[in-house]
Amino acid sequence: MSDINDNRTADPDLAPEALTERFGFDVMRNFDLDAPQFNENFHEIMDFVVRKCPVVHSPNGKGYTVFNTEEAVRKAGQDWRTFSSAKGYMHNRPDDLPYLIPVEQDPPNHTSWRHKLNPFMSIKVMESKADLMRADANHLIDAFIDRGSCEFISEFAAIMPGWAFFKHNLGVPVDELDMLVHNVERGLYAPMEERPGYFGKVFEYLDGFLKMRQELPPQGDIVDAILEGVTYKDDEPASWEHKVSVAADLTFGGISTTIYAMGSSLYHLATHPDDLKLLLARPDLIENAVEEFIRAYSPVVAMGRTCTRDVELTGVDLKEGDFIMLGFAGASLDPRAIDNPRHLNFEEPTIQHSTFGVGPHRCIGAHLARVELKVFLEEWLKRIPNFRVKAGTAPTYETSFLRSMGTMHLEW
Amino acid sequence: MRVKIDEDLCSGQGRCWKYAPKVYELDDAGFNIHRGHEIEIPEGEEKTATMGMKACPERAITLVRA
Repeated sequence: MSDINDNRTADPDLAPEALTERFGFDVMRNFDLDAPQFNENFHEIMDFVVRKCPVVHSPNGKGYTVFNTEEAVRKAGQDWRTFSSAKGYMHNRPDDLPYLIPVEQDPPNHTSWRHKLNPFMSIKVMESKADLMRADANHLIDAFIDRGSCEFISEFAAIMPGWAFFKHNLGVPVDELDMLVHNVERGLYAPMEERPGYFGKVFEYLDGFLKMRQELPPQGDIVDAILEGVTYKDDEPASWEHKVSVAADLTFGGISTTIYAMGSSLYHLATHPDDLKLLLARPDLIENAVEEFIRAYSPVVAMGRTCTRDVELTGVDLKEGDFIMLGFAGASLDPRAIDNPRHLNFEEPTIQHSTFGVGPHRCIGAHLARVELKVFLEEWLKRIPNFRVKAGTAPTYETSFLRSMGTMHLEW
Repeated sequence: MRVKIDEDLCSGQGRCWKYAPKVYELDDAGFNIHRGHEIEIPEGEEKTATMGMKACPERAITLVRA
């Protein structure tokens, strides 16, 4: 196999023993998104891989190859004919997991759904909802500000994205949100064989929600657009199951990812006093800072595609049927595309990054996420400017094809 | 200055508009309304137009004439 790593095989740093000793496993030949060591040493491994061996192979399960350069991610993301989403985006996808629509479809059916949904998630629509999200952020902060401490994930980051999506976009009551967030989280990070069960619970809830909405007069919102549905290329209307799946896809996309973006933004500021000082003095830079946070701390580690033919991607030969993963996190730290990628520059941000993916599947919630993060940071820094990670604690993380934060204790 | 917006590559990332709202316009779905076409950059907007071009993760905007 010709391979971008080939000319490095003489590098002693890349010898199997050297990699195993350094990281606990051979990150180049025996890569594993679900390895506890990957979760523990995430940034160290990502920085090493991106620089030294950006294409890594995993023999685990059905096997997969992760491409961690901006060039490979862009090329494969845009070439949907060769790199198909129709067999799913998860590595070692359990057979009994229902497909998520439209993310696990290809054009033209995928395009029909995106045309239907995009207008409800556009940058201008999302910016018009900023004040609603700002009020949510303040409501949550009110509950703990006088205490002088909080567990940031359960008291803030796991709540605000759910509210932003369910209250202000889907329009569901938030009483059952804890249950929903829990099932979404477990569906993404539980041991692979347990994930379908949690997925099932989310589908069940959303099925009931859509049925309830079907009985009510139309409100002209995204739920009505989902219920209206689309016509597929064979002139068949999208099925009820597909409509429920669309609601599930939007739900899975927006919660865990935003938790990580919020958590890592605050963690970065708590551990980089100069950056915190700058944002406190220059709140006008918060919008730039959001771009840098999501670039350097990308919640999506990698999304998969299946090769529809034999093909070469950045010098690596692939066979029809091979499962590859586009390393969004790696691509956004790729020194071949970005100068000094680990340095966050709020005054002159690296404005080009792959955090939300590239190509027709780029994240539909990107604009919602940006607005949420901006108003969250504006309100937080205004009201709790001097915060720190509680002494003797450290944030905990969960990692698979996504990365999220489990807990982070803050005090002020 | 003149740039071209690729019809197929534009995916509605919206970064061009964010950095150069006087140059690039978005349709209701958030796509560049000039996709598939070339546009002349208004005098004085060259810097923002270039930023908007560089910000596109799809590299859908290319320089036709500086």
